Amino acid sequence: MDDAVTTSEAVSAAPSRGALIRAVRIVGWTSIIAGLLILGFVAQQLFVTTWFAEQHQEALSEEANEHFAEAEITEAEYVPPSTDGTTEDASGGDQSGSSNNGHPLAGTEPRTILVEPTPESGAAFAVIRIPTIERLDEGWVVVEGVGVRDLKNGAGHMPHTPLPGSPGNAVISGHRTTYGAPFHEVDALDWGDLIEVETALGTHTYAVRELKIVRPTELWVTEPREGAWLTLTTCHPKFSSRRRLIVFAEMVDGPNYESIYA
Amino acid sequence: MKQWFLDLPGPMAVKIVIAVLVVLVALVALFFVYDWIGSNLLDSGGTIG
Repeated sequence: MDDAVTTSEAVSAAPSRGALIRAVRIVGWTSIIAGLLILGFVAQQLFVTTWFAEQHQEALSEEANEHFAEAEITEAEYVPPSTDGTTEDASGGDQSGSSNNGHPLAGTEPRTILVEPTPESGAAFAVIRIPTIERLDEGWVVVEGVGVRDLKNGAGHMPHTPLPGSPGNAVISGHRTTYGAPFHEVDALDWGDLIEVETALGTHTYAVRELKIVRPTELWVTEPREGAWLTLTTCHPKFSSRRRLIVFAEMVDGPNYESIYA
Repeated sequence: MKQWFLDLPGPMAVKIVIAVLVVLVALVALFFVYDWIGSNLLDSGGTIG
């Protein structure tokens, strides 16, 4: 009798043990596959995208050097807007990007500034260097445009804002954690840290004045500013595109500095 | 996985070619999915507007 009961229990226990083993096996394989997919994602984002960006940077660096050598530099008149905002730019176009840009010494005589042609979309036309940030110590090529493809290649200059070195507010965006992450450490910048931007005109030096964290829709950060400014925008916090970290820097030296701040 | 491979049509050489192509297509698709997720959630490039 006892033997019969034991056999019956063994028969009923067998399927449940088999189901348990099968469940454990499914969970195990699912975990392994999920782990591999996540590992692949991290590797792709951190290493593959950076490898691609570095390949592009090598080619773009040559393109930028060619641009520096061949760009046609011209002179243009720049009249800072008057204090009531009525004076117009006299540079004869938007090449300098200086139209309607304010100036603390507004309403004075026209000044002569150097201008370069507006680069074509996607073209490499500048190199940004930040000596206090190791990643940007040797420079990162800036291309024209802030489209997805542009920013995969390099830092991107926002169209319809002045070119670096011109009066107003030149805006440059860059990745924080992927595609070479040129702006990975810009949160470490302090007031007064220098940012250099080399263009066909020469090297323009800016000093950091303010860091801000804003929402991605806050377009006011790109609006014209008095004098000559450089605004860097990147994602914040790291590994999230929920906010934007903004670095405002004011020109302190460069080919157009004397003319703009005369 | 092994059964999937064995169920592929044709002789062994064709099975291998098909399997390699399927894996390559899957990897490329995975790359684009990763890129899309990364661009939208992880790091959009810091653009404003």
